[in-house]
Amino acid sequence: MSGQYHRPHRWAWWTERPGYMRFMIRELTSVFMAGYLVVFVMTLARLGAGEAAFGEWIAAMGSPGWMAAHVVALAAAVWHAVTFFGAVPQAMPVFLGEKRLSGPVSQIVMGYGPWLTVSAVIVWWVLR
Amino acid sequence: MTTHQHDVIIIGGGGAGLRAAIAIAEENPSFSVACVSKVYPMRSHTVTAEGGAAAVIKPNDSLEDHIYDTISGADWLADQDAVEYFVNRAPSEMIQLEHWGCPWSRTPDGSVAVRPFGGMKIERTWFAADKTGFHMLHSLFQTTLKYGNIVRYDEHFATRLLMDDAGRCRGCAAIELRTGTVRAILGKSVIICTGGAGKAFPFTTNGAIKTGDGMAMAYHAGVALKDMEFIQYHPTGLPGTGILITEASRGEGGILVNKDGYRYLQDYDLGEALDVSDPRHPQKRAMELGPRDKLSQCFIKEKNAGRTIRTKDGDAVHLDLRHLGAEKIDRKIPFVRELARSYAGIDPVHQPIPVRPVVHYVMGGIDVDSDSATNISGLYAAGECACVSINGANRLGSNSLTELLVFGGQAGTHAARFAMDQPDYDVSGLEAQSADESERIRRTYFSARTRSGSERIAVLRNELHDAMEDGAGIYRDADSLEAACNKIAELRERYRRVTLDDQSNCFNTELTAALELSSLLDVAEAMAHSARERTESRGSHQRLDHPDRNDDDFLAHSLAFRQPDGSAPRIEYSPVTITKWPPGERTYGAGSGLKRPAGEAGAAGGPGSSGAAGEPS
Amino acid sequence: MSENATITLELFRYHPETDSEPRYQSYEVPYDEDWVVLDAINWIKDHVDGTVTHRWSCRMGVCGSCGMMVNGEPKLTCAAFLKDYYPRPVRVDPLVNFPVERDLVVSMDGFMDKLEAVKPYIIRDDVNDTSQGEYRQTPAELARYKQFSMCINCMLCYAACPVVGHEEEFLGPAALALGHRYNKDSRDQGQSERLEVMLSSEAMWGCTFVGECTVVCPKHVDPAGAIQQAKAVGAQEFFKRFVMPKGAGS
Repeated sequence: MSGQYHRPHRWAWWTERPGYMRFMIRELTSVFMAGYLVVFVMTLARLGAGEAAFGEWIAAMGSPGWMAAHVVALAAAVWHAVTFFGAVPQAMPVFLGEKRLSGPVSQIVMGYGPWLTVSAVIVWWVLR
Repeated sequence: MTTHQHDVIIIGGGGAGLRAAIAIAEENPSFSVACVSKVYPMRSHTVTAEGGAAAVIKPNDSLEDHIYDTISGADWLADQDAVEYFVNRAPSEMIQLEHWGCPWSRTPDGSVAVRPFGGMKIERTWFAADKTGFHMLHSLFQTTLKYGNIVRYDEHFATRLLMDDAGRCRGCAAIELRTGTVRAILGKSVIICTGGAGKAFPFTTNGAIKTGDGMAMAYHAGVALKDMEFIQYHPTGLPGTGILITEASRGEGGILVNKDGYRYLQDYDLGEALDVSDPRHPQKRAMELGPRDKLSQCFIKEKNAGRTIRTKDGDAVHLDLRHLGAEKIDRKIPFVRELARSYAGIDPVHQPIPVRPVVHYVMGGIDVDSDSATNISGLYAAGECACVSINGANRLGSNSLTELLVFGGQAGTHAARFAMDQPDYDVSGLEAQSADESERIRRTYFSARTRSGSERIAVLRNELHDAMEDGAGIYRDADSLEAACNKIAELRERYRRVTLDDQSNCFNTELTAALELSSLLDVAEAMAHSARERTESRGSHQRLDHPDRNDDDFLAHSLAFRQPDGSAPRIEYSPVTITKWPPGERTYGAGSGLKRPAGEAGAAGGPGSSGAAGEPS
Repeated sequence: MSENATITLELFRYHPETDSEPRYQSYEVPYDEDWVVLDAINWIKDHVDGTVTHRWSCRMGVCGSCGMMVNGEPKLTCAAFLKDYYPRPVRVDPLVNFPVERDLVVSMDGFMDKLEAVKPYIIRDDVNDTSQGEYRQTPAELARYKQFSMCINCMLCYAACPVVGHEEEFLGPAALALGHRYNKDSRDQGQSERLEVMLSSEAMWGCTFVGECTVVCPKHVDPAGAIQQAKAVGAQEFFKRFVMPKGAGS
């Protein structure tokens, strides 16, 4: 008797369901976010190196290649944020008595609402 | 073959079996309890129960009312001492389950909510939305995980009870499905909690596993099957699939109408059809909240009068819930909506649900006394497989879930106490019986004969279904029952030539199907013969040729004893215990709420006395 | 659709006594639009091939026995209607991420161990006697955990979870949701005991929130949500233990 059958490991498991694919894309967006953090640290380093170095760095950032990278990173960051807020109703359910707030409402109350508020405050503080 | 030794053995892992296991684990923490089940416990059929479980908890209710509703619902065939014990124990058992985490639906103040059910004077059914059985089973199962001394034998199919030289029950032989190995699982006492046998019929709410295996095992060991002629048809199942639409849908205010949209129950002495907007609707013990036997019988009468609705799955009436509205349906009976949508393609918020009566429950079962003990020393039974009897000729909706707890717990306690006083048993003698059983299975199902047999399991099973539906349905008579008895005898003969495609050991579900068919044939035999002998009509047993109740001859439990030579079972009768509630007329609708004072019984006998009901001639 | 319409079922077959590798076997089954995949498998077993092996019981989506892969999707076969596939063939596999015992039957040993591991029962310091009546629990308190108590243990979520397939230690969606169900029950006081188990290495943290467990759940339990909530509780607990190593969890 050969016993239980163990099905082979599925290395391409992430191609099997659209949900897996979406998960992989979401995880990949964090690579861009991490990459952009590196860029940010480098920017700070250049700032520390003096005004000329910083100006040079900022100018380089404006090249078409870098601009494309900024756009991709921004798209990834936005998508990551959207999926993050999409998870809010599941991870942080809000109850009023025995009624649970619907998904979109709790996304606004627990996610987009506070985010936009904080962003507005920062924008106001920067621009004032 | 392997041998496993414990103190108490429970066969069956449903509500009663799990409750018994906990009772034993608590009664004696040093005991080892084995729970042997052909399926994983959470697959047990308790899981499908929907509407609720009855116990007196509210100040407007009384134990007396619960007792009276149960006894009158049973058409006075229930043993009144057992009913009193049941009703008295019910509240604490239900609270215990609440303490174990069952998510009962609540009122705003946090106390347990109750709803009305059929045949009840006062609403007393506890519920967990409309998945009560599911929540009860899972709460019990999860609670058993707390006890290190409960050992589960999941997916082990028990086939035979093992007896010592003194005739005491000492365990069972069971096939481990994964390997096909027959194991001797030994203990000092045994409890059977294997559920009912609705699968003897074609159209049933019962799951595939409800095949009367425990009843058949006890029957073979010499215990009588009691009151087997009483089969409950639930009035509201989906045509085609037989999926249950809970009585709670009527408890919440749903109505039954015929093809003309007319609430036909008012024509059958079940009371006045109050408008659904009337605050008194739904009226207790009336109309849609009449007892199940009467409602199912009314359906047949409407059908015979040509007033039912034709569907592609046969005749039906409409269960109309539309006036309840989406909010109430989703809050109180969401599973009804889910089931109707999935399996009937109907949204009950907008359309009435077609329903028809469907086999639901076996009132009869393994003959046990009020201590859940059989006539075999050390053998107990509880739950649907047992007949105490509190259900008599017709079970009241929502009493069976409570029965699992009360009598499962009681059987556990008694079996544990019995085991404490027992000497060690002779292992080798019991192993020899188990080896015999292993050999019998091999000979019967794994031989040149079974490989080339001529009878397929499904063919025999379908013919049994037809015989039971035609011969022993809601209405029976001498001819139909005679035909059923003869057909069952023929099927038993043909079963000897049953064929199995599967001759292997690992997870042989064709073998279990064959064993289950064998159990069903035994149980069906007891049902048909008991029904043929009872020449009266009472509760769910309606004889067209004997339309009246006959207390002079039949206020008695039937006992079917298997004959070792395979001939027709011997039917005997035992008296019904009548204490304070002398047999009366069952009235529903107008005046049904009138209390029958206990004192009225007067000379009929005090507590404990038996209403004499000698052997019918 | 003609009177004699049929549909093809391709069943995964594996028998440990005779096979070293699985295979697929095709059967022509009468097509009935009211039939579910389970009905078709039962028809095969009854009338064509008694060796086909599968689990089932209630046929109404609540016993949890009949979960299988139907055309690659974890489904309760009692709730998967043939009409949703007809006239294409239907391929039925045993639930993935579980060892196969035989044909469509998978081993539940690991799953049962994981359920047991989360201590899925009420834990209290003080146990009331039943004579004191029920514990009070308002509808609002009930609503906090009710959804997570609806799990029928059908294991579809384990078949949908890639982490279950890769990480032995991971307790998996159903077990974690059940642990969280008791943690959220107002009658329970066993959260810290349960977190002992859930916080250990990969037991809960293995979850990367793929979220497909919730997508396939036939009872809308939302195990993915339960796990994220449990992680939040776990993180707080972890922090508390870090800053107050002694009194934590009490």
